[in-house]
Amino acid sequence: MERMERRKFIQGFFAASAVAAIMTPSALLAKEEAKKVLRGKNALTYDEAVKAITGDKAPTDSDKVSLTVPEIAENGAVVPVKIKVESAMTEAEHVKAIHVLSTKNGNARCADVMLTPMNGKGYFATRIKLGGTQDVVALVEMSDGSFLRAAKPVKVTIGGCG
Amino acid sequence: MAAEARKSMIKIKPKKFKVGDTVKVDFIVIHPMDTGLKKDKKTGEVKPEHYIDNITFSLDGKPFTTMKVWETVSTNPYFSVNLKVPGKGKITVDYTDNTGEKNSKSKKLKPKG
Repeated sequence: MERMERRKFIQGFFAASAVAAIMTPSALLAKEEAKKVLRGKNALTYDEAVKAITGDKAPTDSDKVSLTVPEIAENGAVVPVKIKVESAMTEAEHVKAIHVLSTKNGNARCADVMLTPMNGKGYFATRIKLGGTQDVVALVEMSDGSFLRAAKPVKVTIGGCG
Repeated sequence: MAAEARKSMIKIKPKKFKVGDTVKVDFIVIHPMDTGLKKDKKTGEVKPEHYIDNITFSLDGKPFTTMKVWETVSTNPYFSVNLKVPGKGKITVDYTDNTGEKNSKSKKLKPKG
């Protein structure tokens, strides 16, 4: 009698696990769909955003761009970002635009800032939201059409997008 | 909504400056910057997206910095840019959001010496 119970138990266990195995793919699909909804209306991945900004040109990593972000952000809803670009800021040679991007947010774009020689210095600061631990990227367009890039990782303990 | 004036502020740093100096122009505005993803805690409904999308900084009507901004910028956003002071003038910041709300804020630029 005791043995029968054990057999029944094992059979039942296998039946349950088989059901679970069938269930999982559909559950996963539902999860992915929910993720898509979570990305919002302006959803754009990092690669798409970079392509939209630079076109075919490849940005080069440069020391001229200094990006200041906290190493660890306790609150992802408020992450201060400061960007300084070394430039003479004259009519002939100035910073044309500073783009602030993040690699894993639903919408990778944060701000596009168009500067003119009137600014005097290539500088921009703001506060952004980060959904999780990821890189913050500064893409800088110079007046000669070249692109400079600086990136830094930020550890986020509590996400801010969502 | 559109008629309601938003609280905003322009700060010029440092307070004392001369013609030819480069000053910081900080702009802060009280705005929810809703992403369209978060739920309202009381009603349980998803709040529609509501964020500032265009900002123009101008000096005496001549724009010196234009920005395009998305909902990924924090609530009550803060933007800081530099300006090389050419003389006396008036800084105006115009901003619009995705619901069509338009606002502007201005401050006089008074260099000494």
